[in-house]
Amino acid sequence: MPTQEELRNKEQTYYDDVEVGQDLPPYIIGPMTPTHLFRWSAAIENWHRIHYDQDFSIYHDGLPNILAQGSWKQSVMPQYLKDLCLPNGWAWKVQFQHRAMIVPGDTITVSAKVTNKYEKDGLGFVEVETGMTNQDGINTCPGNGTIVLPIKGGKEIPYPFVAPEE
Amino acid sequence: MTSNGESKLTDDIKALIGVEGEEHEVTVWGVEREGLRRFTQAVMDPDPRHFDEKFAKSTKFGETTTPGIYVTYLNRTHPREDDPVTRAFKENPVSDGIGGVRTSSRPGALPDIPTDLVRVLNAGNEIEVYKYPSMGDRVFAKNKYHNITERVGRDGSHMLIITMETTYRNQDGTLLCITRSSSFRR
Repeated sequence: MPTQEELRNKEQTYYDDVEVGQDLPPYIIGPMTPTHLFRWSAAIENWHRIHYDQDFSIYHDGLPNILAQGSWKQSVMPQYLKDLCLPNGWAWKVQFQHRAMIVPGDTITVSAKVTNKYEKDGLGFVEVETGMTNQDGINTCPGNGTIVLPIKGGKEIPYPFVAPEE
Repeated sequence: MTSNGESKLTDDIKALIGVEGEEHEVTVWGVEREGLRRFTQAVMDPDPRHFDEKFAKSTKFGETTTPGIYVTYLNRTHPREDDPVTRAFKENPVSDGIGGVRTSSRPGALPDIPTDLVRVLNAGNEIEVYKYPSMGDRVFAKNKYHNITERVGRDGSHMLIITMETTYRNQDGTLLCITRSSSFRR
């Protein structure tokens, strides 16, 4: 994952810089630990025991271990896309499914591959296929998103962001 | 898949599709720095735009930013409320930590799904971000049952997939974020 200083000094990726099929720089997160999961549950007041109570998770719910929270995953993905867009782009939308569990010990690669790009209203829209893949190559969270990158010499991306009309 | 029982998608449940809750405030004391600090620590987001005010002012956002998804975690227990965890375990000593903790008695909550399927797993999420909430913002949310469908599992058991849409705005009515969260009930 990027450091504070890398995010502070990040150079802009422009719409012109990306091509369909390109892999954007990934995040590597982990290995995840029960403490990471517990901290997340406490921070957002998610008391579901499958995230911090191993006995309950295994013996009551029949799960292999405590599980990383869907809410954590849904927070990491927009963060990753936001960081790709910094300093002046916009991570507009993302959707994904929870296909496999993330458990303590897993190391996760968060990724985005460009699947389409188009200009609309003078802005550069980039569609990406997203993933959160564990060390065994299982994409736990396949999805897709749309980010908006500045076009070189083009207009500034509005903030607050205004979605283009369909 | 071969079903081993009756459909769980009853007419009563179908009638909930499109039902909206009241718009309600989700902030306890407005968007504040300590909550933001805790959140960004837990999600492991070291972006200085979230805490270095001087630097944040120099960016296109012009102020300290909060992660766009942060608005979805503001609906915390108000100190005037009874402790929901204690209550849940009094009512059910083997509570899973959700049943009895999150109740429909909260403002803006949607009616409960009338089903005997009690186990909940996150199925997927959609997130659209339009503006980062500002420090001090009061955030308001409106929930809606976006869709409810049924799936038959490999073992023939029926499960529901419930998609709830929530729209978040600030005190000025500015759109901040729209989420759609799908969960399995099995």
